[in-house]
Amino acid sequence: MSIRIKRRAWPCVATAALVAVVACPSYLAAGASAQTSAGAHPYAGVTLNFIGEETTQTDILKKLLPEFTKETGIKVNIEEAPYDTVVQKEILDFSTHKASYDVESMPYEYLGSYAENGYIQPIDSYLNSPKWTPASFDKSDIIPKLWMDASNWKGKFYGFPSESPVMMMFYRQDLFSNPAEKKAFMAKYHYPLAPAETLQQYSDIAQFFTRKQGQMLAGKILTHNFYGVATAAKRHIATFCEWLNYAWDYGGGIFDKQGNLINNSAENKEALTYWVGLTKYAPPGYTTYTWDEVTSAFQQGIVAEAITWGDTASAVEDPSQSKVAGEMGYADIPKASASGPLVAHYGGWSYVINRDSQNKDAAYLFMRWALSGNVQLQLAELGGLPARTSTFEDKALNAKFPYWKQELSSLRISTPRPRIPQFGAIASDLELGLSKALAHEESPSTALDNVQKAMEQTMKGALPVTYQ
Amino acid sequence: MEVAGNSAAGLADMTRRRYGVRRPRRETLAGIGFHVPMIVVLLAITVFPLIYSLKLSFESYSLVQTGMNGQGVGLANYSRLIHDPEFWNAMKLTLIFVFVGVSVELCLGLVIALLLQSIEGGRRIFVTLLMIPAVMTPLVIGLMYNFVFNAQFGLFTYIIQRLHLPLPQGLLGSKTWAFPTLIFTDIWEWTPFMALILLAGLQALPEEPFEAAQIDGATGWRTLRYVTLPMLKPILVVAVLFRAVDALKEFDKVYILTNGGPGSATDVIDLFTYRMSFVNWDMSYGSAVGMVLFCITLALAFVFVKVTTRTSTG
Repeated sequence: MSIRIKRRAWPCVATAALVAVVACPSYLAAGASAQTSAGAHPYAGVTLNFIGEETTQTDILKKLLPEFTKETGIKVNIEEAPYDTVVQKEILDFSTHKASYDVESMPYEYLGSYAENGYIQPIDSYLNSPKWTPASFDKSDIIPKLWMDASNWKGKFYGFPSESPVMMMFYRQDLFSNPAEKKAFMAKYHYPLAPAETLQQYSDIAQFFTRKQGQMLAGKILTHNFYGVATAAKRHIATFCEWLNYAWDYGGGIFDKQGNLINNSAENKEALTYWVGLTKYAPPGYTTYTWDEVTSAFQQGIVAEAITWGDTASAVEDPSQSKVAGEMGYADIPKASASGPLVAHYGGWSYVINRDSQNKDAAYLFMRWALSGNVQLQLAELGGLPARTSTFEDKALNAKFPYWKQELSSLRISTPRPRIPQFGAIASDLELGLSKALAHEESPSTALDNVQKAMEQTMKGALPVTYQ
Repeated sequence: MEVAGNSAAGLADMTRRRYGVRRPRRETLAGIGFHVPMIVVLLAITVFPLIYSLKLSFESYSLVQTGMNGQGVGLANYSRLIHDPEFWNAMKLTLIFVFVGVSVELCLGLVIALLLQSIEGGRRIFVTLLMIPAVMTPLVIGLMYNFVFNAQFGLFTYIIQRLHLPLPQGLLGSKTWAFPTLIFTDIWEWTPFMALILLAGLQALPEEPFEAAQIDGATGWRTLRYVTLPMLKPILVVAVLFRAVDALKEFDKVYILTNGGPGSATDVIDLFTYRMSFVNWDMSYGSAVGMVLFCITLALAFVFVKVTTRTSTG
């Protein structure tokens, strides 16, 4: 069939053809890329918009970006914001289908919500295709538990872990190994001073090291008060995070195995009573503490131990901002009883692709690059947290970072918080109750009874929770 | 009638009405043309969100929770609100915040305004300095006081320790002291603003009544009580209402300093609404709370308009 074009129409057609030729190479190349491996620069000219939390990890990623642009020709605009703002911006972008962001780093507790609402793109087809995920990428090296918790919802993968913080115990190694302190501890508690293995020991150590200005600590006269423990007790997500360690330790939590609410169970009440008791040895103002203030308390050298986030260790070990750099030790979170299971609250983020994005392929390439062995190694060297076993086991990094070994072992046994769509609301309910108990506004028992009541209202019609 | 009759425009207007003379068509169209953009913008940014929010408050809608797709629930959100102790706690705290904060700001503002009124030299410098807290972003004030009240190295903590004051080391972490501390930060921020409004009011007062009071031998206090304050009353009312509406919407400083805690000791209504809408993602319940707050603000605005109208016509 021949197409006849009128003479007067020729200039229009020629212009259209010219525009098509100038504008389309990337599309043509993109089409071709499906046939070839994504090796050359099939997406050159594509610009991805990314949003993530304002953290060292995201800062480092930004620094490494030119490498990705050089490899693929893809430009990435990185936007950083605090936790709340990232979530709000993502949800508003998803719900309005504006696709302002192609790829996001999201807190994994929102995975259920994003996946159930169809906001994010499953990546199984990319993962299972050797064209998109060559064997050299080595998926098996990504810590399996971490990847499942961060990015897998009901059997489908939605992305890769973007941050891998996990909670563990920090303690002052220099004080724990001081002969005079060891002797005094033995005399008082009749067992040797060592990193706590049980919560009772944790409490004893906190009590032992709580001292007034003018008293002796490790052979020196204290010029300020010193406290046994730092704890996050503000009405904040940080308090929710620390709580789950104590609750799990005692066999409690938010849901039982059947998915029913157990906030006011005997185990939880015992755990909260323990935690409230521990605050006797915390610095004044502990009810305004989040993970930032816990880090700061260590940096100032005023506390002996804490259960906090592993990714804050780099700040505590930084001599330019910490008085205790090189004097810290790291261990598992103490157990409720010697025979109990080890617990560690996992708090990661995940890279995901916006379902409305027009650049899904390029977005996947970006995620794959960020998780590649080489980038993970660079990320770790610059102070970020990787998601690959090989990076955690790297000898040079282990020699450089004293907390590295503990990070990996805690990640391997870690437990995620519920990833259900009601997460924000149940966290709010718990934060209020915990804050009231920790500020001595309500007894642990009353506070948890009220949490249970509030959460029953929040979860109305969604119980039992069969998948989280 | 005499007000309109005194100006040429008023006369033209009266003539048109009396003799049925109509405005030229082009003038009318131009008038409409100038008003339309403003009306459209107002509709888009105030009326539409308000109506949409009202609609949402009768529905069950969430951007993250599945099963909350905007189905109608009648008055369920309002019923929940009535039975929600946290809502009533937030309302109570907000009203205390407004009443105590604005009262102290008014008294201190008046004292500062009278002092400034009485000095001749350097008033401009003081007025400029007074502007500083009022022009600072509330968020920055929150961050600044976060350091000031820090339990370990804050300036306030240092002062408490040096003077051996019977106050806890971490004021913001104390269930007793956190709320008064927040009110203090608000007073620090807004007293200068109050002083400036009242100073402007004082400077606009006529001199004759003061001269008459002086001739009659009135003391300073009696002049203040029976001359200054009665004449300043409309300005005082406007200043109080203006601040009260603003204080009802307190958010930034509380969000930064305490996030509503410890427990619910500082959970003011705007923070409560924010949490419902953008943390719990229950947009409908958040809208219902927002509508209640809107009604309170509307009532205050009504009083405000009444007072200002009476002032301008009286």
